[in-house]
Amino acid sequence: MKLTSMKALVSGVALSVFAFGSTSAQEFDYGSFEGYTLRVKLIGGAQYEPLYAVISRWEEMTGASVNILSRKNHFELDREIKQDIAAGTLNWCVGSNHTSFAPQYGGIYMDLNEVIGDDVLAGFQSLALANSTVDGRLVQLPRHSDVSNLFYLKSLFEDADNQTAFKAEYGYDLTPPETWDQFKDMAIFFADAPTFYGTQYVGKDEAITGRFYEMLVANGGALFDADWNPTFNSAAGVESVQWFKDLYDAKAVPAGVLNYLWDDTGLGFASGTIAMNLDWAGWASFFNDPENSQIAGNIGLVRAPVGSGGLRSGWAGSHTFSITETCDNSAAAASFITFLTSAENQMIEARNGLLPTRGRVWDDVIAEFDAAGNEFMVNVFETYAVSMAEDAFTPPLIAPWIEVSNEIWPRLQAAILGEMGIQEALDEAADAARLVMEDAGYL
Amino acid sequence: MSIVSVQPRRKSRRDWTPALLLSPAFLVLIFVVLVPLLFSLYTSFTNYRLIRPDSLYEWIGLRNYQRIFTDSKFWAAFGRTIIFLTLALNLEFIFGLGIALLINKITWGQRTLRTIMMFPMMFSPILVGYQFKFIFNDNIGLLNNALQSLGIGDGAIAWLVDKPLGMFTIIFAEVWMSTSVFAILLLAGLFAMPRDPLEAAKVDGCNSWQVFRHITLPFLMPFAFIAMTIRSLDVARAYDIVDVMTGGGPANRTELLWTMIARVGYDNSRMGQANAMAYVSILLSIAFTYYFFTKLIAARKYMGGAE
Repeated sequence: MKLTSMKALVSGVALSVFAFGSTSAQEFDYGSFEGYTLRVKLIGGAQYEPLYAVISRWEEMTGASVNILSRKNHFELDREIKQDIAAGTLNWCVGSNHTSFAPQYGGIYMDLNEVIGDDVLAGFQSLALANSTVDGRLVQLPRHSDVSNLFYLKSLFEDADNQTAFKAEYGYDLTPPETWDQFKDMAIFFADAPTFYGTQYVGKDEAITGRFYEMLVANGGALFDADWNPTFNSAAGVESVQWFKDLYDAKAVPAGVLNYLWDDTGLGFASGTIAMNLDWAGWASFFNDPENSQIAGNIGLVRAPVGSGGLRSGWAGSHTFSITETCDNSAAAASFITFLTSAENQMIEARNGLLPTRGRVWDDVIAEFDAAGNEFMVNVFETYAVSMAEDAFTPPLIAPWIEVSNEIWPRLQAAILGEMGIQEALDEAADAARLVMEDAGYL
Repeated sequence: MSIVSVQPRRKSRRDWTPALLLSPAFLVLIFVVLVPLLFSLYTSFTNYRLIRPDSLYEWIGLRNYQRIFTDSKFWAAFGRTIIFLTLALNLEFIFGLGIALLINKITWGQRTLRTIMMFPMMFSPILVGYQFKFIFNDNIGLLNNALQSLGIGDGAIAWLVDKPLGMFTIIFAEVWMSTSVFAILLLAGLFAMPRDPLEAAKVDGCNSWQVFRHITLPFLMPFAFIAMTIRSLDVARAYDIVDVMTGGGPANRTELLWTMIARVGYDNSRMGQANAMAYVSILLSIAFTYYFFTKLIAARKYMGGAE
């Protein structure tokens, strides 16, 4: 099938969706691919799996079948894709992707502008599409987005004794923090180690690099200058790392925090032993579910704090789907990822708190929660909508990003633990990052 | 004349027969072992990056090796791996020996116990890693909660973060999973042990410790060194458990050779540099294997066995 006809097919499909608004997928023509088997590699995990339950519907509608070759977490999937590139075995069509990972894959994924119509793409948020574009090519179709805001235990802030004691000690009112400095004060105030902590942070891998990066930007710094020289060892960088270190030294965060990743922080907050937790919206429904969480009904939410540079932190990205250049049926692949990212299917993920990438779904899910009287989830989506619109920014969309990150985070840990001075650690990381950028041809 | 002319042909055919019979094995070895080894050795002299297949032909000479030899973090990981290997193997040997001796004494339910003893080996290392990561979690982990409930600990112990404790936890997980390798091999040794020397020693008035020290243990040592050889190769490649539990951190405190090599090779896509690291790290495996084989031969000599 020619690209133009594929584009016409998918855009025709999408036109009918947007023309009729609430048209369900069953009434929707995703094309016919009778007897074809679409080979895919998808991200796995509890928060991603519910969407895959609808794949059988796409199979029924199109006559195709889907062979899921891999269902792994993103880091394992990343390794597998790199092995496929090296071995020349890109014999599959659709792969899960992420805005942070996509730039390193070079040209293995096709420009979706060639197979998905402008009218379909018009349904997506322009920022999500811009972040999915690498070197002018739309190599990913955004599935859901990710930015962090601050969850907190309401009862702590409403407690009159806490309010009085905090005002006496810090000289200002105890209200959910507006700045990173206030966040630190309150975290130290609430901490009562080893049974209760003021906050926590993800402490390793790209996770802590990302947190450092967003705080660096909020404090007025930058990872690189315009010529790609590393600049994160600036005063803003030192100020950012100092925040992590102060909390660690004050035992305001759990002692093992430098080994924490997202599951640890999410489950920790749900256990009721953490006062404030900067996290993505994907945990929201879990936090407020009495079956799983000790803090259900006691959760407040505010936007991420403002740094000394006057900006809010807003490290963001999107989970996405891509189609390989070597795909033997890109029409079927385009139909499949259009189906998975349709408004109806984005609602499945949005109901769990994952942030949709189609503007319409934001309105629909807020209306649905409002009708159900779920004020908490309405607040979640309204808060995250503002962050996505005003605060969100991605890491540099460059191929060596993960490699640069791998040079930064061990030094951040060393600085937080006191094994290195903060400036020394950042200088060493900047030198290592410079070498990476030189090797990659940026310098 | 006719005999003379026929004989060389028959001799030649006979000469080829062993080679022909062995050729499938040689071919398998060449394609499964030798070619990949040579290929990875070649890539260690290139700028090979997984995401740029064309970089396979970018010859950079010894640059990868030069970087390794001046990289203090690599040598720190190298030293840490030696410590990890030494502690894990010795602990596995001691616990495995204890378990084997105890099970050997049991007369009822021994088969069931042997099967139960093998359970930890049946788990995937990744699952074992997650299991111990949860147990050792400082805030919501089982161990700290148990210690606090019992009033033993007055603070949350950062098992996976503190400098000595981080290494302790990954050694603990490794030992938990693989002690049964030692136990089962040493148990096989105990089963194969002749009764005569033991009875003669008892008749001569030896006590239990003397029997164990001078008869049982020397007899078991060849089995122990075989187990150590196998496990040293295994432990030197330790990756899954460490990656899940600590990821080599924090601040490289639990970084072993293979967590570093995997990060360089896959996350950073620098497979040429990773292969250079792997080749240097092979020295470690060769050294341990050579040492254990030397000890194995010595132990067999001591027992009057063949070299």
